[in-house]
Amino acid sequence: MNTTLSGTTLTVEAQAQLRHDLRTPLNHIIGYTEMLLEDTGDDAPAGRRARLEQALAGARVALDLINAALGSARRIVPGDVVRLYESLQEPRRSIVEAVSGLLPESDGDGGGAFNADLKKILSAAERLAPEPAQAAGAASAEPTAAPPAAPVDATPSQARILIVDDGAENREVLRRRLEREGHAVETAENGRRALELVAERPYDLVLLDVLMPELDGYAVLDALKGSPATRDIPVIMISALDELEGIVRCIERGAEDYLHKPFDPVLLRARINASLDKKRMRDQEVEYLREVNRVIEAASAVEGGHYRPGALAEVTRRDDELGHLARVFDSMAQQIKAREERLRDRVRDLRQEIEWARRDSKEADSALDGGNLRSGDNFAQRYEIIAVMGRGGMGTVYRAKDLELEEEVAIKTLRPEFVSDKTLLARFKDEIRLARRLSDASIVRTHDFGEWSGVCFLTMECVQGITIRELIDTRGRLGVSATLAIATQLAHSLAVAHAHGVIHRDIKPQNLLVDEAGVLKVMDFGVARLAERSTANTEAGLVIGTPAYMPPEQLMGEPVDARSDLYAAGVVLYECLTGQLPFQAGSVISLVAKLLKEEPRPPHDVNQEIPPALSALVLRLLAKRPEDRVQTAVELGLQLAALC
Amino acid sequence: MPRILLVEDNEMNRDMLSRRLQRKGYEVTMAVDGRQGVEMARSGGYDLILMDMSLPEIDGWEATRQLRAAPETKVVPIIGLTAHAMAGDREKALEAGCNDYDTKPVELPRLLGKIEALLGGVK
Repeated sequence: MNTTLSGTTLTVEAQAQLRHDLRTPLNHIIGYTEMLLEDTGDDAPAGRRARLEQALAGARVALDLINAALGSARRIVPGDVVRLYESLQEPRRSIVEAVSGLLPESDGDGGGAFNADLKKILSAAERLAPEPAQAAGAASAEPTAAPPAAPVDATPSQARILIVDDGAENREVLRRRLEREGHAVETAENGRRALELVAERPYDLVLLDVLMPELDGYAVLDALKGSPATRDIPVIMISALDELEGIVRCIERGAEDYLHKPFDPVLLRARINASLDKKRMRDQEVEYLREVNRVIEAASAVEGGHYRPGALAEVTRRDDELGHLARVFDSMAQQIKAREERLRDRVRDLRQEIEWARRDSKEADSALDGGNLRSGDNFAQRYEIIAVMGRGGMGTVYRAKDLELEEEVAIKTLRPEFVSDKTLLARFKDEIRLARRLSDASIVRTHDFGEWSGVCFLTMECVQGITIRELIDTRGRLGVSATLAIATQLAHSLAVAHAHGVIHRDIKPQNLLVDEAGVLKVMDFGVARLAERSTANTEAGLVIGTPAYMPPEQLMGEPVDARSDLYAAGVVLYECLTGQLPFQAGSVISLVAKLLKEEPRPPHDVNQEIPPALSALVLRLLAKRPEDRVQTAVELGLQLAALC
Repeated sequence: MPRILLVEDNEMNRDMLSRRLQRKGYEVTMAVDGRQGVEMARSGGYDLILMDMSLPEIDGWEATRQLRAAPETKVVPIIGLTAHAMAGDREKALEAGCNDYDTKPVELPRLLGKIEALLGGVK
């Protein structure tokens, strides 16, 4: 019999094997006995039916015992198996007795087949529960060997017990008794030796004499209970009958139980087994809590981004609710990790695109085209202009050095001709209030707002990167993988902004920066509005944003919401994948006309390399009615993850 | 007389179950491992297969999958038998393509009920 053990619990495979090993002989006993009963007519020899029924009843008792001991929802420890084998002895004896009683009879009447079947039943009964090797009552001092076919050959004993007694005779009597019960027993002749042994190896139980020279039982008990390493080992005190007061003291100090000398064998066995059972339960509880802690630790590891798949392997093998929880958790964590890895691959592809774009583009950043400030100019008595980074609808963006903090910043100025426009100025001030609410690596941080010599300006985090506009312009179109890297990060960024009630309203490739690490950052919240204030602050019919990226409702001057940003994201992704806009028009009027009448060409038709599912997702973002689009940025993120 | 193929590696199980089924009016042929079971089943002529799940060579689950994949045995009813009786064994057997499942020790009336239900009007 090949039963393996995992720690103190039988593995699922070992349990399956054990059931198989027990149920197979039982199958034989029941099957043959029922067959013989069918053959037993009224003319059969007296007592035959009764004996076969006795054997059948024995088999049914055995089956009930097996089912009760190995119920599928239980954790099974080696001790359970030993007890099961012990409990099977009784029905086995009953079967053997009943069937053996029929053998001489069948020999006599020449019933060869009948005889052969009886022998099969006997051999099956022997396999069901081998008779213990040790003859009852033998006073051998040899440790009890496990029966040859015992189920738990890895644990020849039920428990490891330490006997501490200064009387050699007492030690010897106890040792023999306990070894006969199948325990592994060690002895110590004094308290000091006992503490040495306990420090060296684990024990399931300590039997401790109260009165000993030098270190007495109280002192040893205090030492055991005072150390976290040995606190949980149950201790049974050994005492003479007249030491009741001392026993009370011991139990108050943490002893599990007590035994009187001379020992009553029945009481000895009962108390030792009860202590061991309690310890086993405690061990199981401790083990359970340890595994609960592992799941909790794994959850923190997932949060911290360092979860190692398979870290819960041991817990996942449990067949209880905790095992189920661990399995679900592990598989979720693995999926997340796999997604993260895929995202990393995509960002790598995106960085490759950036690298190629850099190589292709002409160095043009030294020219301060169109801006009023020049390289080396001092601005607001704090910044030194380095170069023009770009020009937006409302102003110029410069790269500058903050002389006070000695770091680079981006300065966005409002064009002088707009200074008089109170609406634009108010809108510009809104930018900083909103942007300051958003703190996320995916959003360009806004530092400050100021006014100097009649020029209103905003300082922002200076991101050394490339805009998606430049990427598309130099690359023509981007690969599917790089586009997915952009899309996933854009969905995250929008989800953060939308969660704060901020709608960007002007998502377009010019406003999306990718830094050298491939991290996307959304900038220019200059036209953004708090969603709940959008109707109050926007004059009817005033269109804010860049028409090509606007959804129909925004072009028509109707209220916008988070889904309007998702439309714009759809246009950006369409452009990344195909290198062209979904609708091309020379004027806003013709754009509106096309947008309202025409459906965009599916990206997959423009470029066969685009997976149809991604193509369909982009088209869903471009739906004319907001309610037909992907409804939230979070949902977009999930849809993108599902495309992996 | 309905023909049953009993695929079982344990000799005593084969002897006992085949005799009990024969007494109930079935013709029983036996295979001793999964590979032989699949070969014999594919040669045809069986109304039902009793498949032990823990078999040497090819186990019962794999043998069942192979029988389900082969056109000539696709529709022959298969009852999976196991002494493991672990939680999930039944689902595993049905997933592999067994029509039904039973545990050992065999309760003959219950097993006969399952066999008759699957054979329908054959007997």
